[in-house]
Amino acid sequence: MRIVRPGGLSNAAIARLFTLPGQVVSLLVLVMPLLVALYMSFTDWSPTHGSLFDASFVSFENYSELLVWDTRFTYAVVRTLLISIVCLCLEFTFGLGLAVLFLRKFRGKSLLFSAFLTPMMILPVVVGYIFWMLFQSNGPINQILEFLFGPQAALEWFRSAPTAIFAVILTEVWHWTPLFFLILLSGLNSIPENPIRAAIILGASPRQVFWRVVMPMLKPVITVAFVIRAMEIIKLFDEVFMLTRGGPGSSTETISLYIYKLAFNDFQLAYGAAAAFLVLLGSLMLVHLLLAPVRDQLLEGNR
Amino acid sequence: MLTKNLSPLQAVLMFAALVVVLFPVFWILMTAIKPPTDWNASPAIWFPSEPTLVNFKTLFDPDALGEYGVGGVSQPATKAVFGSILATFVATALSVTIGLFSAIGISRYGNGSKATPLVILSGRMFPPAAIAVPFVIIFSNIGLIDSYVGLICIYVAVTLPFSTWMIKSFVDDLPREIEEAAMIDGRSKLMAHLTVTIPLIKGGLFATTMFIFILNWSEFMFALVLSYTSVSTIPVQLAKYVTATAGTLYGVQAALAVLAMVPLVIVGYLIQSHLARGMTFGAIKQ
Repeated sequence: MRIVRPGGLSNAAIARLFTLPGQVVSLLVLVMPLLVALYMSFTDWSPTHGSLFDASFVSFENYSELLVWDTRFTYAVVRTLLISIVCLCLEFTFGLGLAVLFLRKFRGKSLLFSAFLTPMMILPVVVGYIFWMLFQSNGPINQILEFLFGPQAALEWFRSAPTAIFAVILTEVWHWTPLFFLILLSGLNSIPENPIRAAIILGASPRQVFWRVVMPMLKPVITVAFVIRAMEIIKLFDEVFMLTRGGPGSSTETISLYIYKLAFNDFQLAYGAAAAFLVLLGSLMLVHLLLAPVRDQLLEGNR
Repeated sequence: MLTKNLSPLQAVLMFAALVVVLFPVFWILMTAIKPPTDWNASPAIWFPSEPTLVNFKTLFDPDALGEYGVGGVSQPATKAVFGSILATFVATALSVTIGLFSAIGISRYGNGSKATPLVILSGRMFPPAAIAVPFVIIFSNIGLIDSYVGLICIYVAVTLPFSTWMIKSFVDDLPREIEEAAMIDGRSKLMAHLTVTIPLIKGGLFATTMFIFILNWSEFMFALVLSYTSVSTIPVQLAKYVTATAGTLYGVQAALAVLAMVPLVIVGYLIQSHLARGMTFGAIKQ
């Protein structure tokens, strides 16, 4: 229904007016910097070289260097993807397990529900710091290991690559499993009961009911959970910064951490901008790939 | 769902999960009230011998540790606490206000173009590191580096997709007919939204504000690269305490960490039922 009042604004005008501030902010604070970075990535500029406009143009040198020679960059990308995949699978498994337990009846449910959500409310920097403490050589994790398996079980967690990566993954899984739990539980709760009753009457075992009836209906929710988490974990920075700073060496460096070090420790800003741009292109492709299955749910499914 | 009681095995599993979830929180709380002698004890001490608040006091008065014969932190956390509060409050208010209008615009007058929403959503996935590089350069040229104005601008831009999308999901829940009735009554569209739409999504607006507060309060990377001396936030200060030579002042660091997380956990419990909606851009509702 369209109601046009004399002197009133048309719908299109209102739409423009209302969304204008948001668009201005995005334009000034997201688009403009990106253009500057794009220009910069084709130069050899660094802060010691004076003004950005005096920097000499090097065409695709930064990009070819990154893609062909810079193994540290390649490793960071591969490592980030691997950490992401491992974390998401673990978070999904634990989150689903916990959500299924919450379908049962028991006392103190709402209190326990809040308790299980606590980790995701804590800020990433603090989560990183807490686990840094837990993994200290004289920290409680080593203490428990020693108690269980004897004195030789204690580890210097941040001194070797595999244990440091394990620490990062454990931290991330602890932090974000609650989100999977939350999303999956709300999905499970909104599944209609009738198909389940029907399946049971038809003689399906509980296992069959779960895998053949519940899981297919849960699929859209699972997809949303994975997409949302993937978008966040690909940016992994805060926790790793507090835990290992990418060390030992560069063995736990994520994409974000590598770019951060390039730009703000080594002041290779032009090179860092090129890396940033490659990552942007990569994430843009990934985001569209990821969003494809849930696009409608995110954009129109609200109706 | 057809509900059964928890079996004993499941109860044990759930208890184990609860221990794993709560242990890190327990550890940081205990460390924050440990006296200096307990901080770095080997083997680690689980329950402080003499619980004390001296760590919290040290955050604001670096010499407070004197009575234990330990040098305090080089820098009090006063400025960081002030900075976090200032940047978070202003940025949250701006983000929610701008997001509110964008949300009404998109929800009620969207022309069906799917491009704008996708751009907003894609913006969320860019690694902050990638955006931070150009920011630092532009801001250092226009004098916004190491200033709260610059920090707030970025906070607003970064949280805008969340506030827009979360509020939009609340506006979508509202039947259009309510506003149209007000418009027929003779109110302009703007007035109809101000007097009808906004009061009706009050609860949603509150939840969104709290959610954006959580995001801004947690922000670390931009604050890290955009602050030098005159600007600081709690997460940045925590990172500084950990790297500084004072890296083993566990108790004081833990006190700051507790100070950082307590408001968020409280706010988080308050809007617990809206967390899923916020995190999933309104795709999941409870």
